[in-house]
Amino acid sequence: MIYENPCVFVIFEITSILTIITMKENRMGIRAKILSGFLILATMLLVAGAWSIYELRNIGMSVQKLLQDNYKSIDAAKLMIEALEREDSGILLVLSEKRNEGISIIEAADSSFTKAYEIAQNNITIPGEKEYVGAIKTAYDDYKTLLRQSMAGTTHAGDLNWYFQEVHASFMKTRLAVESLMTLNDQEMYHTASNVESRAYRATMPGVIAIVSAFIFAIIFSYLINIFIVNPVVKLTEGIQNYLDSGKPVEIEIETKDELSMLVSSVGSLIARSSK
Amino acid sequence: MRPYIVLRYIGTVLLLNATFLLVSAAISFFNSDSAFFPLIYTCLIAALFGAFPFIFVPPTEEISNKEGFTIIVTSWLLSCLIGMVPYVLWGGEFTLSNAWFESVSGFTTTGSTILTDIEALPDGLLFWRSATHWIGGVGIIIFALSVLPSMGKVGMILYRTETSPLASANFRYRTQKMLQIIMFVYVGLTVLETIALMFCGMGLFDAITHSFATIATGGFSTKNMSVAYYGSTAIEIVIMIFMVLSGVNFGLLFVAVSGKIGVMLKSTVIRFYLITLMAGVILATVNIHGAPFDSWTEAIRYASFQVISIGTSTGFATTDTTVWPPFAQLLILFFTLQCACSGSTSGGIKVDRTVLFLHALRKRITMVEHPHAIVKTKLDTMPVDDDVLEASLLYITLYVVIVFISSLIICFLGIDIMTAFSASAAAMGNVGPGFGLVGSAGNFSHVPELGKWILTGDMLLGRLEIFGLLLFFLLRSWK
Repeated sequence: MIYENPCVFVIFEITSILTIITMKENRMGIRAKILSGFLILATMLLVAGAWSIYELRNIGMSVQKLLQDNYKSIDAAKLMIEALEREDSGILLVLSEKRNEGISIIEAADSSFTKAYEIAQNNITIPGEKEYVGAIKTAYDDYKTLLRQSMAGTTHAGDLNWYFQEVHASFMKTRLAVESLMTLNDQEMYHTASNVESRAYRATMPGVIAIVSAFIFAIIFSYLINIFIVNPVVKLTEGIQNYLDSGKPVEIEIETKDELSMLVSSVGSLIARSSK
Repeated sequence: MRPYIVLRYIGTVLLLNATFLLVSAAISFFNSDSAFFPLIYTCLIAALFGAFPFIFVPPTEEISNKEGFTIIVTSWLLSCLIGMVPYVLWGGEFTLSNAWFESVSGFTTTGSTILTDIEALPDGLLFWRSATHWIGGVGIIIFALSVLPSMGKVGMILYRTETSPLASANFRYRTQKMLQIIMFVYVGLTVLETIALMFCGMGLFDAITHSFATIATGGFSTKNMSVAYYGSTAIEIVIMIFMVLSGVNFGLLFVAVSGKIGVMLKSTVIRFYLITLMAGVILATVNIHGAPFDSWTEAIRYASFQVISIGTSTGFATTDTTVWPPFAQLLILFFTLQCACSGSTSGGIKVDRTVLFLHALRKRITMVEHPHAIVKTKLDTMPVDDDVLEASLLYITLYVVIVFISSLIICFLGIDIMTAFSASAAAMGNVGPGFGLVGSAGNFSHVPELGKWILTGDMLLGRLEIFGLLLFFLLRSWK
């Protein structure tokens, strides 16, 4: 969802930076300063978390693609090869005068091949896969024509030369076409798996960067709080104590223009009034 | 020293980085490439870190020299760290060491790469890679013209001319004045080169990225074959002109642009710089004519581009110099060590120190001939004290010693002598390509992990003029 609207991020980015910069810098109140620190911290972690979730969701989709799309086609290709081999055995039986047994094997195998082919045809997910499936169809149609010739007529009975020269060549051509489809899906599976690996890397890195950044930010945040909030309070306390002990006037320089500078000037006024 | 003031000014540098990251992310977004998230997330981190100190730390008029120095050195190191984040997040060939190497190489304007296939990078990341050169270039000039002159006599001599009155002013004034000069010369040169390259037939994206790399004397190209990809003499001539200009002291260049070109041409350093480049081109042309280049036209074309590219520490390539005859290779190696002028974006020992070295040599010879003579050394009209000459000689010695030590370590890691020495010299001089495995047609991916870290150390040492980095880490001197 985030990726679909990356503009939101860009706009968020620009507005957040501009908001902070255009704020009246040191005129901000202490509460606003502290709140801004926590907001920055939260933003870094939230964005990193959102990005990790997005990448993890993509990993899930890639795995699904791997299993459903590519594996389905590979499985169909295996079934087609198995059916082709059974048909090849069937035709040899037909040629060796075991006609009926051969024909029944060929018919059963043809049905298996057609079913597997339909699976492959309905599962075209890779660019160029359609052409590969089309090549199987063309090769198988040619092969089937030869099968029908042997099943129907007696002209080729016992003719092993015809088998080796035409039928076996056509069988090999069809098998090669099916194997090409399998290789294509294998390659896609490998590509998807590599993609999953890099996505897994990308899913973890924002988290790592966010943790390191948050740690560094926390140190800077606490340092600035110490310099601009804690130190003035300590100095003010010491100044008041000195005034109480030795009557020394409270002289503290506060660079920022927040509640602390107001407090210091109020304390100064109070002491001046009480001295009168 | 007030660390919170340092934080505020580093914030400005981080915001500059964030701006370029945002532009790179926008390029990625419009190309729908895979670098959008890495770039925008890094932009977010840089922007938040950069803007946060503004909330707490009030603006200050006065910044001490030490604070100014710390701001620049820390900004550099932090920029390198931020610069590596998009690479690490994107993945691909970028392991942690590789990302650090590429980032340091970019910001120090070295131009060495670990990438075996640059063109596989998405456009957004390619733009960021070139932008690191450009941002680094701005940093170098501020460092060289604004900070170093305030760090003693040597700095004043090396980065003299118009900058010397500025050196006596406070950091804020110097920086403001310098930024005005930089914005004028630096941006002007970048725009001019972009237009010229587009006029020669280069696309807008390539023209901008190559201009970034030329003006910063970096050398990152968007093509695997570097400038050779275009096979255009016109493009090569344009790049050569801007490489030579980028090797000149930017202060002098500003004076020349202001109409006082004579001031620039009268400078001994500039004359020496131009004469050595011309001599290098002539010698290389004569040497490579016959083999590997049959015609004089080809020989002069390739010799001039390679000599100027290395002599200005840019590192672009139009041919593989590893197949050149040994003399031409040694000539290139000399330029790898010397490079161009101080106060430019160039690296290396610098022409200024070579000139001071020659002055010291002449003085020594005179002293040998006339032991009681009082010999005064002058560079143009400025008298040069003995301690300045001594410091320059010490710098050259230290420079060579560091190159030797890192070569030794890299050799120990199993790399051949030529590769190790040229890689160290190229890293230290912020040049880019060396010879052997890291030649102009190769890359640094073969260098072992430890070697890569050593080379990035060399790059930073060379960029921050050795003492700059050493001083930064010698915390005692800050007390």
